[in-house]
Formats: sequence, structure tokens, C-alpha cells
Amino acid sequence: MDSLQLLLDGFATALTPVNLLYALAGVTLGTLVGVLPGIGPAMTVALLLPITFNVPPASAFIMFAGIYYGGMYGGSTTSILLNTPGESSSMITALEGNKMARRGRAAQALATAAIGSFVAGTIATGLLVVAAPVVVDFAISFGPEDYFALAVLAFTAVSSVLSRSVVRGLASLGFGLVIGLIGIDEQTGQARLTLGIPQLLGGIEVVVVAVGLFALGEALYVASRLRHGEPEIIPVGRAFMGRSDWSRSWRPWLRGTALGFPFGALPGGGAEIPTFLSYSVEKRLARGAAREEYGRGAIEGVAGPEAANNASAAGTLVPLLTLGLPTSATAAILLAAFQQYGLQPGPQLFDHNPALVWGMIASLFLGNAMLLVLNLPLAPLWAKVLHVPRPYLYAGIVLFAALGVYALNASWIDLVVLYILGLLGFAMRRFGLPIAPAVIGMILGPMAEIQLRRALAIGAGDATVLVRSPIAAAILAVAFLVLFIPLVRALTRPGRAAG
Amino acid sequence: MSSSHEAPRSPREPEGAAGGSAVPDASGTAPRPAAPDSARWGWRRPELVLALTVLGLGVFVIVGTADVTAAGSALGLGPRFFPLLVGSAMVLIGVFYVIDVLRGGHGDPEEAEDVDASAPADWKTVALVSVIFLAFAGLVDLLGWIIAGALLFFGLAVALGAGHRLRAGAVAIILSTSSYLAFVKGLGVTLPAGLLSGVI
Repeated sequence: MDSLQLLLDGFATALTPVNLLYALAGVTLGTLVGVLPGIGPAMTVALLLPITFNVPPASAFIMFAGIYYGGMYGGSTTSILLNTPGESSSMITALEGNKMARRGRAAQALATAAIGSFVAGTIATGLLVVAAPVVVDFAISFGPEDYFALAVLAFTAVSSVLSRSVVRGLASLGFGLVIGLIGIDEQTGQARLTLGIPQLLGGIEVVVVAVGLFALGEALYVASRLRHGEPEIIPVGRAFMGRSDWSRSWRPWLRGTALGFPFGALPGGGAEIPTFLSYSVEKRLARGAAREEYGRGAIEGVAGPEAANNASAAGTLVPLLTLGLPTSATAAILLAAFQQYGLQPGPQLFDHNPALVWGMIASLFLGNAMLLVLNLPLAPLWAKVLHVPRPYLYAGIVLFAALGVYALNASWIDLVVLYILGLLGFAMRRFGLPIAPAVIGMILGPMAEIQLRRALAIGAGDATVLVRSPIAAAILAVAFLVLFIPLVRALTRPGRAAG
Repeated sequence: MSSSHEAPRSPREPEGAAGGSAVPDASGTAPRPAAPDSARWGWRRPELVLALTVLGLGVFVIVGTADVTAAGSALGLGPRFFPLLVGSAMVLIGVFYVIDVLRGGHGDPEEAEDVDASAPADWKTVALVSVIFLAFAGLVDLLGWIIAGALLFFGLAVALGAGHRLRAGAVAIILSTSSYLAFVKGLGVTLPAGLLSGVI
């Protein structure tokens, strides 16, 4: 099989000592930063982006793959030991995981999360290997109108699925789109919305937006309502689990993987829906001891959602690598990392840079294995990270956010822009606007514009060109229908929506 | 991308009501700030400012690109077409957002590990953090990364409630110095040396 050969070549790239070192550094840093409370996978990737500024692309993406998966592992440790309701993707893990930990089963909860993440990550990365060439073959015939339709679908899906209120999701998307407009229009050289500030001619970089909305926004939000008093952290030894835990865990792992991967690949799917679905599926299937334990710390409720979480992370890479379509905030930042090297993910990337793409995919397998080794015995070490005093933690986050942004252009104006975006991120948190649509709108907006103008230029100004291809028409129809998901959800659950 | 059909239904789902984020109820035990007067005091609520910002930004995009003209090729669209699209969408979204807020709809403050959602907003700390950060932005070129970064960390840590000042100062100096060395010497990233330019 062709892709198998390419994958083997990828392993040859990833297994060089230097690249193994980059992978190890990536997973270690990713876990370390991901464990820190208040830092989700998206912020982890955004904060660590500057580290790769001067690293050659293949190594940088191997490192990034490690950071991406490491951040996911780290997040689950936090939610089990600290009960974090904040971060959406590991929120579900906290439900049963933290209760397990409170009952003295922290080691088992961490073990099933880590091993489940490994199993799910490995299977899902395998699925990525199978699916990516298929999607590439399919997408090679895509015209600009198809890409435009895909971007619109990503916009509406992320705005309506991630938010309780479509207006708030769309408002967040709009902020992102407007930020994406700033700077010189590539096709005509006209400056747009730069307010006469020369530093804005090049546009606002994605790192500044992501770090501003996530890191500085979070720091300001925390400053406004810092929880005083020591957080309760459950002490833990080496992560392990017994025979009965294994037999109770393996089915949820597989079911979680089956749910996580396809949802991760869908626009707006992300990790929230599959983790929740996995949680309810396991709850419904629970029998005997598991049924009694559910709600008080059942291992199934950790195993399933954690597997779904990691499988969705691999699923997200399918549209990102094959179509250049980010379906989550983290994926949008990864896309920015590609663009930083002048690379545009899509069918052409597989043609022009096979070594890079397959090296990255191979390193996902390696990183996953490293994370398992890193997480089982070292759990007590990661648990210590949770004790970082909060004033130091948030001061440190701001310091590194400033470093990453300042290192871009050595310009203090970037720091002021960072602060303004931090204020926006603060307001969005305060009033319940999801952050992900803004990040996706900012990075995908300019691409949508290029494809739209290209499509209309081909159609000589005739707007029907946008729906002439059946694929584009179908995608646009779905994009429109997706906006009604919350409405349907509210109608089908009258008892809950009333109150 | 019309939002017209959604606006009326978005307001107030109760806490834990598994809206977009699909969260089961079990986490909904955390107290959330009640907004009993939200419907009556629609005109005074701070969320209205954010909704009006959306609306205003839409207008700004439309007006602000008025000078961006021509140059578009005969066939394709000029550089103003997409901004007009985005601006109009923002105005539309902004109108529905404002209506939603006036009708008593509200977004739930995001929950996070270190956030006490029921506490009243501590504006003094927010202002302090802002001043420290903006001062850092203005002084970093002059003072250099090590000094400015250490001051930034120290200032923020103390503002956020670090009790032990000597320790905070030591951590600040270690962090800013080691980050400078790691990034400049190790990773080849450019950071200003500032006052210490001869020394390090």
C-alpha cells in the first residue's frame, strides 16, 4: 500500500536522534504546560509556538505533534486531581475522574486515562493514516467554491455547536473575521482597517490573537475573580490499575475511540460532543458494580470520555492536513504554525512535502508511546505542578505570552495589540462568548475571502457559481442547517430549556 | 450566515442545562451568580456594552473600508466586497445580540479552575494588572527583557496576591534571566538586552 510506504518513510524521518529529541521535548513541554490549571490544549500550543521559530519545519512539526498530544494528556491529569470544570474537552473526565480520586482511586483514574488515551490515540492515528489519502484523493478536484463552502460550514458549525446561544457564537466569529481583515489585501495591495498604523499593514499575527484571547484574557479574567484559598488537590502515587479495572476499561476505550474520531473530523465537532456522548453511552451500558458506582466515580466514565477526547484530537488532523480546514481552536493554531513556514495544508501538501506530513504523523505514534511512559510512573511529579501558587502561575503565563508576542517582530505595538485582545478575551469569558469561533474566523476568514473572490472571478461575477458544484451546494446547505442545531436541541428538551 | 432565526431563543437556559457545550448536570452544582434583575435592567447591564461593540464594529468595518476602492480586476471583486459582507453580518448579529440582551438573555461567565464565578468582580486588580502590563510594553525596549520581564512578573505576582515578596522577586529574576538565556542563546530568538546590553 502506498500510504504504508509513505508512513514508513515518515518513521525514518521521525526516528532520527535529533527528531526523537524534538518529539520528547514536545511531549514533555506539552504535558507540563497542559497540566497547569487554566491552560487548555489550545493555549498550550499557542504559548509554545515561539519555541519553534528557528527550528527546521520537519522537526518543528514533530515537536508540535508532541505538544498537541502532550497537552491533551496533561489536561486529563488536571481534571482528575483538581476537578476542573473549565476546560471543555476534559470537563467530562472530571465528573467521574475526580470522584474516583476522592474515593482513593486516583491512581486507577489516571491509569485508565493515560492508557485509554494511548489506545485511542494509536487507533485514531492509524485511522488518520487510512483516511487522509482518501480525503486527499477526493479533495484534489475541489474548486474554490468548494473550499469557500467548507469555510462557511466551519464558521457556522463552530459558532452554533460550541455556544449555548448562536448569536454569541456568531458574535465571537465576527470578532475573528474583523481581526482577519486588518492589513494589506493580498490581491490588490490596498490597506484595510489599519487606522494608519504602519505596523498593522502586515495584519495581526495569529499568535498575537491566540495568546491574547487565551492567555492574557484568562489572566485578566482570573484577576477579576481569583478564587482565594488553597485549591484541593488529591495526592497520588504511581498510576496503575488492577485486573478488574482493565476488564472494565477496554470496551469504553474502544467505544470512545469510535465516537471521538469521526466527531473530531467534523467541523464544529471538536472534543465536547464525543466526550459527552461517550459519557452517556457508558452510563447507559453500565451494569452491576459500574451502575452503582456511576455518579460516584465509575472507571468507565473516565475511560470512555478520555479515549474519545484523544481520538477526536487525531480526527481533527484529518480535515486540517487534507483540506487546510481547522475544526477546533487548537487546529487553527496548528494551521497558523504551518503558515508560519509558508506551508498551506491541503491536498498539495501531501504531494509537495510528503516527508514533513508523514514524519509528523509517524511522530504522533511515537509521541503517544512516549506519553504513556511519561505519564504512568511520573504522575506524582505532574501532580506537584498543580501546587504552583496561583499568583506565580498567572504572572508566568503573562510573561511567556509577552515573550512569544514580542519575539515575533520585536515591536511594542504588538504588545499593546496583545493587551487589547486580552481585554476582548476577558469580556468574552465574562459574558459567555466562546473563544474558538474567533480564532477560527481570524485564521480561516482571509482564506475564505481568497476562495470566494477566486470562485466569483471564474464565474465572471455570476454568484450562482458558488452553488454550481453539487459538493459546494450540499456543504452550504448543511452550513445553513447547522445554525438550527441549538434550536432543535432546545425544542427537543422542553423540560430543561424552560426554567 | 443569517442569525435571524436564533435570536429569540438564545436567552437564559438555566445553569447546567446542557446547551452548546453539552455538559451533564453533575457539574452544575457550582453556584453561579444569579442575575435576578437582568430582565428589568436590560439597559444598564454591562453585557450591553459588548453587544453594542459588535454592532459598532460592524459599522466601523463598513465605514472604515470606504476609502478602499477600485483596483479590483474587471472580473473579480474588489478588496471591499468581503469587508462589506463581514461588516453587514456584524451589524445584523449585533442587532440581534442587543435585542437578546435587552430581553434579558445573558451568557454564563466561563468557569475555570481558579475562578470564583460567584465573587464580585475585582476591578482594582484588573486595573493594576493592566497598568503593569502596559508599563512593561512601554519600557521593554529601554530596560531590556531581563529587567522589564522581572518587573512584569514581580508586579503581577504581587498584584495577584503573592504574599512572600522576596521569594516573588527571586522567582521573577530567575524566570526572566533564564528565559532570556534560553531563547536568545539557545533558540536564536531576538530579545532586547536594554540596560544590560554590555553585561550579558
